[in-house]
Amino acid sequence: MLKSVFDSIGRVTLFGAKAFRDAWVPPFEGEYLLMQFYEIGVGSFLLVVAAGFALGVVMTLHTRSTLVQFGATAEIPVFQSLAFFNEIGPLVTALLMAGRVGAGMGAQLANMRATEQIDAIETLSVNSFKLLVVTRVIACTIMLPLLTIFMDAAGILGGFLSEHLASHLGWTLYMQRAFDGVALADFIPPTLKTAIFGYLIATISCFYGYTTNEGSDGVRKAATNSVVISSLVIILADVILVKCIFFLFPDQAI
Amino acid sequence: MSDNGQPLPDGPAIAFEEVEKGFDGRTVLDKVSFSVAHGEALCILGRSGTGKSVTLKLMIGLLMADAGKVMVEGADMATLEEDGLMKVRRRMGYLFQSAALFDSFTLCENLAMPLHRLDGSKSREQIKQAVEETLQEVGLEKDGNKMPSALSGGMQKRAGLARALVLQPKILLVDEPSSGLDRITAGEIDQLLMKVKTERHTTMVIVTHDIHGARKIADKFAVLDQGRLLAFGPPAELDKNPDNRLQQFISER
Repeated sequence: MLKSVFDSIGRVTLFGAKAFRDAWVPPFEGEYLLMQFYEIGVGSFLLVVAAGFALGVVMTLHTRSTLVQFGATAEIPVFQSLAFFNEIGPLVTALLMAGRVGAGMGAQLANMRATEQIDAIETLSVNSFKLLVVTRVIACTIMLPLLTIFMDAAGILGGFLSEHLASHLGWTLYMQRAFDGVALADFIPPTLKTAIFGYLIATISCFYGYTTNEGSDGVRKAATNSVVISSLVIILADVILVKCIFFLFPDQAI
Repeated sequence: MSDNGQPLPDGPAIAFEEVEKGFDGRTVLDKVSFSVAHGEALCILGRSGTGKSVTLKLMIGLLMADAGKVMVEGADMATLEEDGLMKVRRRMGYLFQSAALFDSFTLCENLAMPLHRLDGSKSREQIKQAVEETLQEVGLEKDGNKMPSALSGGMQKRAGLARALVLQPKILLVDEPSSGLDRITAGEIDQLLMKVKTERHTTMVIVTHDIHGARKIADKFAVLDQGRLLAFGPPAELDKNPDNRLQQFISER
């Protein structure tokens, strides 16, 4: 059991390293890469924005009921923005993507393997790994930070709406309070760490899809493993990355 | 000389030398040796599970032999790096049993995909023309904008053949062209393969259970049984062989 776990970790690591290495070597499959940007970015936009908005509303409702007791409702906007920039935005976006994009990648590639489409690509002298895996890894790595920014923005917007309905706080004052005391270091490192989440989601999902060879059962396993393993690895990686951010930006750790 | 006037490489187009292949401890091919000359059509016959499709996959490098040599136009497939393998495959076409069309692309996109990537000398207009000509060759000129899921089994086979032919391969590998098709549709696929053979002088290796179609196309038969090469040679020669088991595979009755 343990041997099999380490074996899988080793194989995923080598798979991810190969994807990283091949990303810098031509041909770059620009057309297919654009399709992946569209599929991952545009296809996930509404989901991310809707989830961010709803979370923003709920977060404000919860924090308001607590902060009212201390007369600190003026701090709600900055709590909201810091929570979204530091953790909620990056982590929830990554988990949503693991569910939507990860499952899709795993199932699609496993289906292509089961129906010999990947073999067909190889017989046409096209490098299937570069075409199918590298393009997905690049697109997911680049799109995750962008989607995180939209999640953050939607969360703050949801928070404003909730707070506006509760206390009639104006837009300008809300935004002023939301960004008062928020440094670039609160925003940029946590947003950029989602590029690593994107790389992990695509690598793990593509690994389970591309390397399966079990027909329709392989499709089911690839879709399930892509979501479960990606989500778990994202949460574990988040712990390490937050520690790294605290190490590099000690002010964040206070 | 080849049909385009270029000299053909010396030796056979494909040669198997004592090839062995197994999966999970089970031997699928056991010291199999044969060769296919340039422009020749070889039909591989045998029961299901005797390694016929594995033989095709060894020829195009989707699988590698455990022992022995698979030589394609003089190149040892086992020693080729990725670039070398791609160059050899560039001269080959492969029709899968399931056709294996890319299900998220239209038929035209299926055919254009390899041309865009591999034939940099062609403009978009030339690629479009090459795709249309190839679709016309297989009788699917009106179906270019359809998705593979909208095609019947026979049309999918013809589309798969069109994709295999679009790069003008010198060697065509065909896996079960008539499986799952009615006799008339299977006959149409056989006619297409005959046309490719006579007009393009393409070297062909066809795995089939359809002895009727095989007799129309093949210059030679290779009969596999339990992983071994039971017989190899022209159909007329094998017909004279009194081996009862062999006759069961190649007899039309």
